[in-house]
Amino acid sequence: MSLEIKSITSGYVKEVPVLRDVSVVAREGALTAIIGPNGAGKSTLLKTIYGYLRPSEGDIYHHGESIKGLKPDEMLGQGIAHLIQGHSVFPAMTVEENLELGGWIIKHDREALEMALAEVYERYPILKERRRMVAGALSGGEQRTLEIARLTMTQPRTILIDEPSVGLMPKLVDRIYEEIVNLKEKGFTIVIVDQKVHKAVDVADYIYVLRLGLNSHHGPREKFVGTIEDVIREWI
Amino acid sequence: MEFSIFVQLLVLGLVRGSMYALMGVGLSLIFGIMGIVNFAHGELFMMGCYLMYFVTRMVGLPFPVGIIASGAGLLIVGIILEKGLISPLRRKAGREWLMDSFVLTIGLMVIFQNLALITFGAIQRGIPNLVTGQMVIREVVFIYDHLVILSLALLTVGLLWYFIKYTSMGKAIRATSQHSEGAQTLGIDVSTMYAIAFGIGAALAGISGALLITLFPANPNAGMGPVLKSFVVVIVGGLGNVKGAVAAGIMVGLLEAFAMFFLAGGWQNVIVTSIVIAVLVFKPAGLFAPAGERP
Repeated sequence: MSLEIKSITSGYVKEVPVLRDVSVVAREGALTAIIGPNGAGKSTLLKTIYGYLRPSEGDIYHHGESIKGLKPDEMLGQGIAHLIQGHSVFPAMTVEENLELGGWIIKHDREALEMALAEVYERYPILKERRRMVAGALSGGEQRTLEIARLTMTQPRTILIDEPSVGLMPKLVDRIYEEIVNLKEKGFTIVIVDQKVHKAVDVADYIYVLRLGLNSHHGPREKFVGTIEDVIREWI
Repeated sequence: MEFSIFVQLLVLGLVRGSMYALMGVGLSLIFGIMGIVNFAHGELFMMGCYLMYFVTRMVGLPFPVGIIASGAGLLIVGIILEKGLISPLRRKAGREWLMDSFVLTIGLMVIFQNLALITFGAIQRGIPNLVTGQMVIREVVFIYDHLVILSLALLTVGLLWYFIKYTSMGKAIRATSQHSEGAQTLGIDVSTMYAIAFGIGAALAGISGALLITLFPANPNAGMGPVLKSFVVVIVGGLGNVKGAVAAGIMVGLLEAFAMFFLAGGWQNVIVTSIVIAVLVFKPAGLFAPAGERP
């Protein structure tokens, strides 16, 4: 078990929980997709895992350790990276400065930082080519690549991805999903939330469906192939 | 115009301008990173004046110690204000907190002025000069005091630039100002960055107060004039644009020096205010904003 969410209840106001008794397990090295209609609580779930919201009940474990109550800026240190919705590059800083900040938590280990940087450049030659450019001048797809590369500087074990396709044109969505599958193949555990249900189901190993803040269905991809249309129809 | 007069005005303008730049940079830094318009910036300047006066006059230490004490003292004051008042406000007020921060800093301005009035009275506490003497080169008078102020102001701006541009803390502060949520996911503690940024902004105001004590003696309202000028600088340079604040500060200083000489004392305010109005109408992002950037 890489990430284990154990019957959490969470929301923005104490009296009105958005998630009720939700459990999700993300297996190590697998890609787990969380899907559901608007308002199902997908984003709330990610926010709760990442410490923006504190669950009123239940617990969250990462590799056996409880991470409940940690602040968002303590998560990367625990090996959990979070690719947030929309662009998050530092637009007026160079590509290299962006990547260096990806190594903020290892900044005192100059050698490890240099190595991580070299590795990222090897994996993404386009970023090496543009390392002196300000990140805001990159294309939308390149910015996403930079965001992903930046998060992998410290070799986290788990990556949470929130709506990777928002604001990107269809061609780029395919590329980003290719990149996400790549990350999985490199051994990262991935948890993804996306409105583009079909896209997420295509690449996922395991799927959770949330509905109205509750667990609805879950199972391996095979269980959903062919029946996903029925699941979606239930939402409407 | 005679060359010597031109050089004289240039020096006077640069001295004024460097101080405006120093104040404006602090104000701009705080706005750029936190979105707060710090109306109490002039009172931080005033505290710098008092610290300088007490360290050099009452304790009798040399003036560089006074400047460092003002900078360090205001750094601490800034961090305490941020951690104690602004940060809780940000957490509690949610999205409305910007408006609330306006009210907070205006309130702080009133409180600090009156605290100074109660504690120190309405007495001007000045120092005639930091260094005595002057030199004359080809009919141009260089007052040592002015040269010291100018070079220390430039040194401070230079050190700040180095800190923001090259140190990892400086980079984290810039990252926080450009995308705070993104910075957080990289493990940067943004609330600490806010406190440090506010502290540095306050320290710059304190250093300005210390350097300018020969022109603005310490008194409860000492910050009122300089803060108005720093708002001018920040508007002309572009809110949140630190480089713009330096350029605008020096520009306004030079304009004032030349306007006072060629038109008459008082006209400098007319010209500078007209420029502010023109900038707000025609180029609200400031004269030095990169193309396409909104204020």
